[in-house]
Amino acid sequence: MATLQQEIAEKFLAKLSESKQVDAEIIDQLRTLFAEHKRLKADDLVSIFSVPAGGDLK
Amino acid sequence: MIKLEHAHIEEVRGIRNLDLDFGRQTFAISGPNGSGKSGVIDAIEFGLTGQIGRLTGRGTKGLSVSEHGPHVDKTKFPDAAFVQLRVLLTGMGKSVTITRKLKSPAKPKIEPADEDVKAALAEIADHPEIVLSRRELLRFILVEPTKRSEEIQALLKLEEIGQTRSALNTAQNKLQTAQRTAAAQVQSCRDALQRHLQISTLRSEDVLEAVNKRREVRDLPEIPELTPDTKLDAGLSGSAKLPDFNKQSALQDLKALSDAVSGFPDLGKTEAARIVADLAKLEADPALFAALQRRSFIEKGLDLVEGPECPLCDQQWEDEQHLRDHLKAKLAKSDEAGKLQQALVSNGAAMAQKAIRVVGLLGPVQRVAEGQGETGFAQLLTGWKADLEGLKAKLTTVEGLAALKDRLTASWLGIPKALPKNLQALTDKVQAKPDQTAALDAQTFLTTAQIRLADYREAARKKKTVDVAWTSAKAAYDTYCSIMDSELNTLYEKVEEGFTAFYRAINEDDEAKFTAKLTPSEGRLDLDVNFYERGLFPPGAYHSEGHQDGMGVCLYLALMKRLFGDRFTLALLDDVVMSVDAGHRYQFCKLLKTNFPDTQFIITTHDRLWAEQMKSAGLVTAKTSLALHSWTIDTGPLVESNQEIWDEIGAALAKGKVEVAAAALRHHLEYASRHLADQLGAAPQFRADGNYELGELLPSVLARMKDLYSKAAQAAQSWGNKPEKEAVANRKAALSTSAGASGVEQWVVNKAVHYNEWANFGRKDFEPVVAAFKELLGCFRCETCESWVYVTPRHGMPESLRCACNQISLNLKLKPK
Repeated sequence: MATLQQEIAEKFLAKLSESKQVDAEIIDQLRTLFAEHKRLKADDLVSIFSVPAGGDLK
Repeated sequence: MIKLEHAHIEEVRGIRNLDLDFGRQTFAISGPNGSGKSGVIDAIEFGLTGQIGRLTGRGTKGLSVSEHGPHVDKTKFPDAAFVQLRVLLTGMGKSVTITRKLKSPAKPKIEPADEDVKAALAEIADHPEIVLSRRELLRFILVEPTKRSEEIQALLKLEEIGQTRSALNTAQNKLQTAQRTAAAQVQSCRDALQRHLQISTLRSEDVLEAVNKRREVRDLPEIPELTPDTKLDAGLSGSAKLPDFNKQSALQDLKALSDAVSGFPDLGKTEAARIVADLAKLEADPALFAALQRRSFIEKGLDLVEGPECPLCDQQWEDEQHLRDHLKAKLAKSDEAGKLQQALVSNGAAMAQKAIRVVGLLGPVQRVAEGQGETGFAQLLTGWKADLEGLKAKLTTVEGLAALKDRLTASWLGIPKALPKNLQALTDKVQAKPDQTAALDAQTFLTTAQIRLADYREAARKKKTVDVAWTSAKAAYDTYCSIMDSELNTLYEKVEEGFTAFYRAINEDDEAKFTAKLTPSEGRLDLDVNFYERGLFPPGAYHSEGHQDGMGVCLYLALMKRLFGDRFTLALLDDVVMSVDAGHRYQFCKLLKTNFPDTQFIITTHDRLWAEQMKSAGLVTAKTSLALHSWTIDTGPLVESNQEIWDEIGAALAKGKVEVAAAALRHHLEYASRHLADQLGAAPQFRADGNYELGELLPSVLARMKDLYSKAAQAAQSWGNKPEKEAVANRKAALSTSAGASGVEQWVVNKAVHYNEWANFGRKDFEPVVAAFKELLGCFRCETCESWVYVTPRHGMPESLRCACNQISLNLKLKPK
């Protein structure tokens, strides 16, 4: 059963994908992190958000 | 989720050895205080989750499952203490067994040990909220809004959500700081490039104009367009490194630093003063300082928690959640310290950005000094740069700022005393150098321009990456907050809806228009309830304690229904229904049956009458009820059942202990007659204190039963129902015979058969008394379902006499004429 946390996480990732404000690769990594059901750490998130986005910045 | 089929409990809490057949049905456990009811709940909770709520909640410091979970005589033999549960996994239709020892709560033996089974049971273990005790019940209702919010958040596991939001917020804050640092770096490189090119804006055309002028001098082709790959010194360099000293540029760099030096004493002065003031506040208030130090320490600890062992002190906790709750409670106590921490770090970050700009001015001058052989000055600048780099890191943490307090009070930049003199000397030295030829000037201009453009591009590239990271983090944080707020508002609306509907269902007679309002706001959850349509008030304002308890149960049920939906299949209600007042108990049973038909409730109550009412209401049956009559440390809970009570009396008589048998018989008769008087509507002489003697109750019950049989016979006669008339006659005759044998009707006038004398009887004299009462009470029970008979409706003219299974169902209403 999806917990409230999971429900929010799913909707969060869906809305983030829809908004296109965040690179798809970052969203994939966030999805993996949320799926691990571990306590999220700020430094892990910083690493994920710092992943070079797709396109000419790589 | 699950339903309980069977429990075997050994040496857990107050229980020595107990087997319970739940049969996946709602089950009632009754008994006086201290008879071991809650021990059963503890054991089931432990079997399912590995935890015992009453040993891990607030006010339980020093208690633990491993030490205080086993029976007090088995604390040194925790291997002997275990719970074995057989449960049905409703989603899979699998019946599985969990055996959990007190010695190793986290390692249950699961059979079959299939992966899907283990996963399903792990999910249950993660939901200790299936247990609701009276203690928790009041936490929902009679608490401050902030506390209620915490309790409900804990129940709904909103803490995880809050933690995710906090991590996202911290991440975006860190990236924002990084973004500001990168921006300062870009600005610094940009200044250096513009200074060298002597242009006021960094537009491509301005850059190309300055560069192409020098390229022309060197007969190099004009650069028509500035692209990311453009090299300003293209065509100049071969493999050999070209000199990059450009006199004019060097003088400009020296002048820039020289001009800035005069402003250094005031640079960051405001921020430094604020930091020093905040640090002074900390010094003046040791408790605040300690809270802040602990805050930082605890924050680090919380980040490092990876199990039940505290990363800060190595203490072993009951479980990881307990440890986290403990650390979070400590953090919550230091909100003021938290605000101070935020202000300190924010001002420190602003100063760090200024330090970056200073370092940006030092770099080019340092290179000039090196190039001109001014080794001492170059080393001085290298040392100062390193100092400022180190300072930057310290400026972003509270510990670092505290260590810098003295420096922040004076000249925080740490300007070397020899700087002005050395700077002037170097300037003089450069100025004294002969002017470079036009060709060399152009060449060094171009090489320096390329170096500075490359630095700027690199800084800009880094900033762009950090910009993207920060924008992504901010978008993620904002999105998460928006989704979270929306979901929580929906959740609270649903909970409010369910709560109102459930409470109305219980109190339909007097509060059918009851309404409630749950209002979430910053860290609070206000609950207001309508008091007889006079307006919304906090629950504790006007409602009685019984009503407040009812609200607690309803709020819990609404939360669980919202949380689990159709998978809310099991709840352990430990003494939480006892305060539902007598007038609303049947409605409460109806609520559970109607709204939660697929939920198995394990309900304990110390009110035996309540337990019997659950049977009458059809919520439980004789088979799904357990009555405990007492408890001893050696035996654990003593079960009272129709069969067992007679076995117990028989066993006492067999040992010649008439006084024990007499006491047990009297105890049972008191309970049975009180219950039957209620169920049948008997009319003993009224007593305002409700303190009825057995000698008053039992005869009135007997008289009432005979009266009801007379009514049933008349009704059968009026309907022409001969078989029922005959059946009634037989029952009435049996009752009369049994009553005569027991001598109930002569108690008042014949002391020889009075129960006060029983203890003085001999065994042979008392055995017939026991047999007579056993037969008499049997007349009030259904042979099939073993429930006591009762009349319906409870109020007004009785219409039928029946049992829980309807095997006995006698009409009492006459045929209309």
